[in-house]
Amino acid sequence: MDASEVEFLAEKETVKIIPNFSLDKIYLIGGDLGPFNPGLPVDVPVWLALNLKQRQKCRIVPPAWMDVDKLEEMRDLERKEDTFTPVPSPYYMELTKLLLNYASDNIPKADEIRTLVKDIWDTRIAKLRLSADSFISQLEAHAKLDNLTLMEINTIRAFLLDSLNCMYKLRSNQQPGSSKGQFTDF
Amino acid sequence: MFCEKAMELIRELQRSSEGQLPAFNEDGLRQVLQEMEALYEQNQTDVNEAKADGRADLIPSIKLRHCCLLRNQRCLTAYLYDRLLRIRALRWEYGSVLPANVRFHMCAEEVQWFSHYKKSLASFMRSLGGAEGLDITQDMKPPKSLYIQVRCLKDHGELEIDDGTVILLKKNSQHFLPRWKCEQLIRQGVLEHVMS
Amino acid sequence: MDTQSYLPVQPGVGMEENFLSLDDILLSHERLPIRTECSFPRLGFLDKSSDSQDIPEGTKMELPLWLSKGLYEKKRRVLSVELPKVYREGWRTVFNADPNVVDLHKMGPYYYGLGSQMLHFDSPENPEIAQTLLQTFMGRFRRNMDSSQNAYNEDTSALVERLDCLEKALFSSGQSGLNSFQSWEKGRASQLTASSLVLNYRKRKINDIQP
Repeated sequence: MDASEVEFLAEKETVKIIPNFSLDKIYLIGGDLGPFNPGLPVDVPVWLALNLKQRQKCRIVPPAWMDVDKLEEMRDLERKEDTFTPVPSPYYMELTKLLLNYASDNIPKADEIRTLVKDIWDTRIAKLRLSADSFISQLEAHAKLDNLTLMEINTIRAFLLDSLNCMYKLRSNQQPGSSKGQFTDF
Repeated sequence: MFCEKAMELIRELQRSSEGQLPAFNEDGLRQVLQEMEALYEQNQTDVNEAKADGRADLIPSIKLRHCCLLRNQRCLTAYLYDRLLRIRALRWEYGSVLPANVRFHMCAEEVQWFSHYKKSLASFMRSLGGAEGLDITQDMKPPKSLYIQVRCLKDHGELEIDDGTVILLKKNSQHFLPRWKCEQLIRQGVLEHVMS
Repeated sequence: MDTQSYLPVQPGVGMEENFLSLDDILLSHERLPIRTECSFPRLGFLDKSSDSQDIPEGTKMELPLWLSKGLYEKKRRVLSVELPKVYREGWRTVFNADPNVVDLHKMGPYYYGLGSQMLHFDSPENPEIAQTLLQTFMGRFRRNMDSSQNAYNEDTSALVERLDCLEKALFSSGQSGLNSFQSWEKGRASQLTASSLVLNYRKRKINDIQP
C-alpha cells in the first residue's frame, strides 16, 4: 500500500468547519453534506474541508485532541508504557499533516503540535520494531496489533511479511518428512 | 559443462535490472536448442545400445544427459516467461504504443503477444464502468485535484484537451491541464508534475 | 516510491524451488563438490582434470546443484555430495556464537537458499544444518530491520555488502516502506513521476551514444 493511499483513506474522516457561505444540503453517494450557513459549525469530510479552506470558504476547527496539553500527556504515557497506548484517531499522523499543511492558521501552536505528534510517532515506531524483533526471536505464531494505526503498520508491512515468509520456510526445513524424496527441479 | 549457454541467457536477464528488456537473444536460444538436439541424439544412441547389448552401465550417463535436457528446458521457459513479464510491464509504463528502441528488442512472437495483451486489456477496460469504459491504467495514485500544473521537459507537439482547445507542448513551457490527460505523458518523461 | 509494474517470479526459499524463478535458477547453478559412486561412460570430457573417455567411479569433481539433485538417489549410490564448508560443524559453531559477525555475501551469496537445498541430500547432520540456518536468520533479523528502516537517503552499499541474497531482498523491501513513508512526509507522495523504467532506458541510450 502506498502512503498516499493511506492518506486518501484518512481524508474520509470528518472534521468540524465554520463556513462563511450558505448552501443547501447536498446529497452524495458517500453521504449528505451540509447545509452550510455562515458562522454555524458543521461536520464535513477532511477532503472537503481542505478544499473549502484553500478557497478561503471556511475556518477549520481542529479536533479536540490536537492540543498541546493533551498531546504532551499522550506522549508521556506512550513513553512510559511498554505496549501501544490508544491513539486519539486512527489517522492521527495523516490528519496532523493534512491540517497543519493547509490550515495551520486555524490551529494554535501548530509547530509544537507538529513536534509532539512526531515524538509520539517515533516512540511508537521504536516499539513496533522492538516487538517485531521479539516476535521473530521467540518464534511466535501470532501477534495482537492492538491500537496500531494503518500508517504505522504500512511502514513495516512489506519487510515484516517477507521476513515472516522466509522464516516460515526456514522453519519448515526442520520438519522431518518435508523432503519429498523425488526432486522435480532441475 | 552442459547448459552453460542457457545460463548465459538467464544471467543476461538478471543483469538488466528494474525490469528492462534486453534484446531478444535469438542466437543464444538457437545454441541451446542445438545442444538439446545433440544431447537427445546421444541419448537415443546410448538407449538403443543399452537395450540391444544389455549395457546397463550406460544408464547413469543417459540419466545425466536427460537432466541436462530438462535443465535447458527450464532455463528457456524461464527466459521466455520472464521476458513476457517485462513486456507486460511496458504496457503499464509506456502505454499502448512502444518507442521503436524498445520494440526492436522484441522478437516477432513477442510483438504479437504484446498486441494480444494490449487488446485484451483494452476490451476488459471497455467492459467496466458502463458505456464509457474505465481506464484502469490511470490514477495509480489517489488524485488530489482534477487539474495539475505541469512543465514540459521536451518539445512534444500539440495536445488537444477535452473542450477542444489545442495546447502546444513546447520545452520549458508550463501548463495547467486535466490530470488524466497528463498522467501518461508524465510517466513517459515528457511532462513534469510541478507541486505547488 | 514509484509503483513498479514488473514483478519477477519470487524465489521459492527453503527446500522447494520455483520453477520459473531466475533467482532459483542461479542458485541451483552453485557448484558442489561431489564424488561419483558409479562410472559415467562416454562423458569423460566433463571432467577437465583427466582425458579418459569415461568418468570412472570415485572421481572427485564439482557439479552444479541442479545436476547433483537430478542424479542423486537415496537407494542407489550414484554420487555422494560433500557438504560445503560453511554448513559444516566448524562454521556452524561460529554462526551459532554470533551470526552478526559473518560476511554472508562472501560465504554465499546464497547462504540460506543453498543450505536449505543441501537438506535434499541425506546426511545425519541435516537437523543441525536446518537449525543453524534458522538461528542465523533470527539472529541477524534485528540488525537487518534497523538498517533497512533507518538508512534514508544515504549510500547503502556498506550496509548490504555483507548480506546474503535473501537478506538483500528483505533489505530492499524495508527500504521501499521507509522511502514511501518519507516521501509522503515530505509531501511528495501525490506527485506523479516518470516511470523508472523509462528513465533507465533513456540513460542507457545516452550511454550507448557516449561509449
